[in-house]
Amino acid sequence: MKKNKFAFSYSLILLFLLIGCTKNLKNSAESTDPFESLNRNIFAFNKSLDQNIVSPVSAAYVKTIPYSVRKSVSNHLEWMDTPSTIVNSTLQTDLENTILASAKFMLNGLSLGFYDFDNNETKIKKKDLGSTLAKLNVPEGPFLMVPLLGPKTVRDFTGTLSDRQSLSNISSNSVNKLSLAEIPINLVDKRSKLAKNIENIYESPDPYTKMKSYYIQNRRKNVYGDTYLEDKNNKLDLEFEKLLQ
Amino acid sequence: MKNSYNNINLKKVLCITLFSFLFFQFLTFKSYSDNVKNGEVIVQKMIADAKKHAVKTINLSPKERSLKIEILIKRFINLDFMARATTGSYWKKANNTQKKKYKSALLKQIVNTIEEHLNTLATLAYKPLKSEARGKKLVYVKGIIKDHSKKIPDVNLLWKLAKDKKGNFLVLDLEIEGISLVSSHKAETMAILRKNKGDFNALLNTFTKSE
Repeated sequence: MKKNKFAFSYSLILLFLLIGCTKNLKNSAESTDPFESLNRNIFAFNKSLDQNIVSPVSAAYVKTIPYSVRKSVSNHLEWMDTPSTIVNSTLQTDLENTILASAKFMLNGLSLGFYDFDNNETKIKKKDLGSTLAKLNVPEGPFLMVPLLGPKTVRDFTGTLSDRQSLSNISSNSVNKLSLAEIPINLVDKRSKLAKNIENIYESPDPYTKMKSYYIQNRRKNVYGDTYLEDKNNKLDLEFEKLLQ
Repeated sequence: MKNSYNNINLKKVLCITLFSFLFFQFLTFKSYSDNVKNGEVIVQKMIADAKKHAVKTINLSPKERSLKIEILIKRFINLDFMARATTGSYWKKANNTQKKKYKSALLKQIVNTIEEHLNTLATLAYKPLKSEARGKKLVYVKGIIKDHSKKIPDVNLLWKLAKDKKGNFLVLDLEIEGISLVSSHKAETMAILRKNKGDFNALLNTFTKSE
């Protein structure tokens, strides 16, 4: 069974890498959208699901559950993601982040991550396989709107699938069941944090394009950091200076 | 005799050139640092006014509140620039009525975005960070929004400002956690315009439908 899982996950990675590499463009998701029509349909499906189920549940969650409990749940979900950060920080040779994430993971592990002993003082950069692939100069590939998961690029979707698959391969059955149960909780938790931004996107003239633009800018900032911001701003400065003349 | 005369002249010329160069550098530097200072002052004033505004207008009807916010925003942003920056080459093809309508629609979009965050902003603290002059005209003012109760994570802001034709320092763009509002708005506008083969009226209709 486990062998099948491995085979499935790695063939998927290979497939997505091939799709990504055929484009031969480092950052093409913003300018080209070959799956636009399909993406827009999935966006409409996600939006309807969000407005009819996730949003009301998330609103009720915020209204009925006290802040301290919600914070504990958020802490725990973040803690569950930390092993992926540790592995990918190591692969990206970010030693400082590896050490900090490992120390925080062990410290907060005393409460299964529900309580943050560090009180969020240590800033850890979240790393996933998508960001590791980016460091290896794998192109981000076209933009994808994934059912339930929302916006991704081909590279990041591959990373997400692989991160999840790796976690289930290395952990026990009980942890897997726990991890599965956490998906809807994670969805509600994230939705409650982003409520205002999501509503703002829905109210815009072209919500799909707005979400795509927000996602790509935010993702590139998280993956490439200051280098991306400086490049982007240099380009924008030239554009702005021209318009100011 | 002639040689020493030439030497004195050469020295004079060199001194004058050096002093003029230094004086010019000083003026340029002073103008850049003045610009940075002006930019910082404008952003601080805008944040302070927005906070006051959030408290003062809390009992007003939504329509009256929007109107007040609109007046406040108009004082601080370069709407004409934003309209041109978000429509790219299509701006030149639009007629005056279309341009006017687009600016009004854009302003409404900005007001809606700010309105949603205004009440939250009133309870948060703004801390200015590094500011810098970029090129000859632009000024970047960086800041961070902090929630002392730590319920909301810190939000990094970057304001891009420049002088308008009347010499007033106005906001051209705002980046929230690296997301440029002008860039995302441009992506949206261009997608609608491309889909409708550059028809500005179709863009205005889409804006009206979303209001």
